[in-house]
Amino acid sequence: MTQPLSGRRVLIVEDESLVAMLLETILEDMECIPVGPASNIDDGEILARDTENLDAALLDVNVAGRQVFPVAEVLKARGVPFVFSTGYGEGGLPEEWRGQPTLQKPFTEAAIRDALMKAMGVAQA
Amino acid sequence: MNDTTKSSDLTVDLGAAFEASPNPYLLLTPDLRIAEFNQAYVDVTGAKRSEVIGQLLFAAFDSGPGTEAPENVRQVRASLEKARDTRQRDHLAVVRYSMPKTLPDGSESFVERIWSATHTPILNDAGEVVLLLQHTIDVTDLSPNSQPDEPTTALDAIVGGSVLRRAQSVQEDNRRLETERNRLVEMFMQAPGFVAILSGPEHCFQMHNDAYSQLIGHRDIAGKSVREALPELEGQGFYEFLDEVFATGEPYEGRESVAQLQRTPDGPLETVYLNFIYQPIRDDAGAVVGIFVQGHEITDNVLAAQRQKLMIDELNHRVKNTLATVQSIAIQTARSNTDPAGFAETFQSRIMALSHTHNLLTQSHWEGADLRAILEHETEAYGHTRISLNGPPVSLEPAAVLSLGMIFHELATNAAKYGALHTPEGRILIDWALADQRAPRLKLSWREMGGPKVTAPDKRGFGSRLIERNIRHDLAGEIDLVYAPDGLIAELTVPLDRTASR
Repeated sequence: MTQPLSGRRVLIVEDESLVAMLLETILEDMECIPVGPASNIDDGEILARDTENLDAALLDVNVAGRQVFPVAEVLKARGVPFVFSTGYGEGGLPEEWRGQPTLQKPFTEAAIRDALMKAMGVAQA
Repeated sequence: MNDTTKSSDLTVDLGAAFEASPNPYLLLTPDLRIAEFNQAYVDVTGAKRSEVIGQLLFAAFDSGPGTEAPENVRQVRASLEKARDTRQRDHLAVVRYSMPKTLPDGSESFVERIWSATHTPILNDAGEVVLLLQHTIDVTDLSPNSQPDEPTTALDAIVGGSVLRRAQSVQEDNRRLETERNRLVEMFMQAPGFVAILSGPEHCFQMHNDAYSQLIGHRDIAGKSVREALPELEGQGFYEFLDEVFATGEPYEGRESVAQLQRTPDGPLETVYLNFIYQPIRDDAGAVVGIFVQGHEITDNVLAAQRQKLMIDELNHRVKNTLATVQSIAIQTARSNTDPAGFAETFQSRIMALSHTHNLLTQSHWEGADLRAILEHETEAYGHTRISLNGPPVSLEPAAVLSLGMIFHELATNAAKYGALHTPEGRILIDWALADQRAPRLKLSWREMGGPKVTAPDKRGFGSRLIERNIRHDLAGEIDLVYAPDGLIAELTVPLDRTASR
């Protein structure tokens, strides 16, 4: 079975290592190449700005007590699609980021794949 | 009373005129002491000058022993005080007041008389009340009761009785209205909500109650315009709402409105939340003449609701994050344990370790925990004699507690499976110290000895990945795992003040 997202480089911003490891595992199963993970906003911004050929990103909304939106701004400026992940639900997002693909924790592999494909505009197989 | 005044070419002796008037006059000081009276007053009261001058009026004339006496005194006193306080003439159309009378046998008795009184304040150049003039007329003889034989005229029959009876009924109405008004004012003053009456297009404070005073920090606002009285409200929209209510006559209702009030002079602006209504007050012709302000401060309720929402959001966030953590542990444990029994045991012990760490944090209301307590928690199952813990107290923030709890759990589990805790003779020395006081770091070494001979594993399992990730990713620290033949050595360094390094 071919993976629709095979070879895509996906940035992870997530402060909890266990959750970051889960995302890496799931991305690797989907034949994606994980970038990061960044455990704080500053590292996230650097990776978002400097990583070449970045295809997408998974952004935890609350990263060690700060909100991830500066990283989202960098990605938006570069035109890199991204997905938020949060325990708060879409209602927890500020007005300007509503409508962005959002994952609810805990997540399934299918949910991650669907959200990434929706963000990247890749057609379902 | 020896003042004279010149009216064109006629010099008038006012004192003599006062004395000669057939009307009884009494002059009182503002504290209601008898200052002076004329002969007509002596004629109707029998007062002796030497006995009553300088006396308090109601000490000199107390309306006698009757049951109505206190009420009679109260009415006269209220009228005098009103004249004094408002600096306006006040009338008492009819009032009963008993007067002492010496009977032919020399004994004293009280005779009930009915009076009509006018109280006039006399002002000085500064507009202050210096005297009160009481003009009383004895109207007892006009009363129908005292003249039962007086024929009722047709007019009396139409308008409901004699002039005196009508005066009495008007007076009674006035008294009832005033009592009602006083009761309303009292309710207004003591109402739990704040109340104010604003007058005119500038919204001048005509009246406000205790709750309103408390809301604005007990400032002197009587008579001032709202812009003058509460200048800090500039730009907060309230002036404009008042202007609009005054202009349109439409009421305005504010729900959970935020106001910044300066409750102490030179103090900071305080944020308060208010529910209130501005209601136009109209005159008889229907024109808006003022605004009735009424409302409640609901700051405590609003803040409590905000705190509760924050707490529920935070709880939800933590629960969902913890579930994601458990999910990660389950998936990764399953990948390194192919048999179900091994998976169940390893998964369960990891969940229990996570749960123990939560217990430690719950004990401190999630403020943190001490390093030694975490180590004791994770190693107590292996006996005190085999584990040596040596280091100063180190208090750790919740995130570090959770990470280190997982790390020590994995190290201890690994030692039990392959290392020093696998044999009865094996021991573990755990030493730690704080380094660099300016950017404090925890340096900890975990040294195993007396176990089986150690060889480095072929591939890194989930446990060692989890340890390294937790240290580097979650704690921004360093770890060095050395598979020495005599026993595993783990050296780890963790910055303790991570907020400073971000």
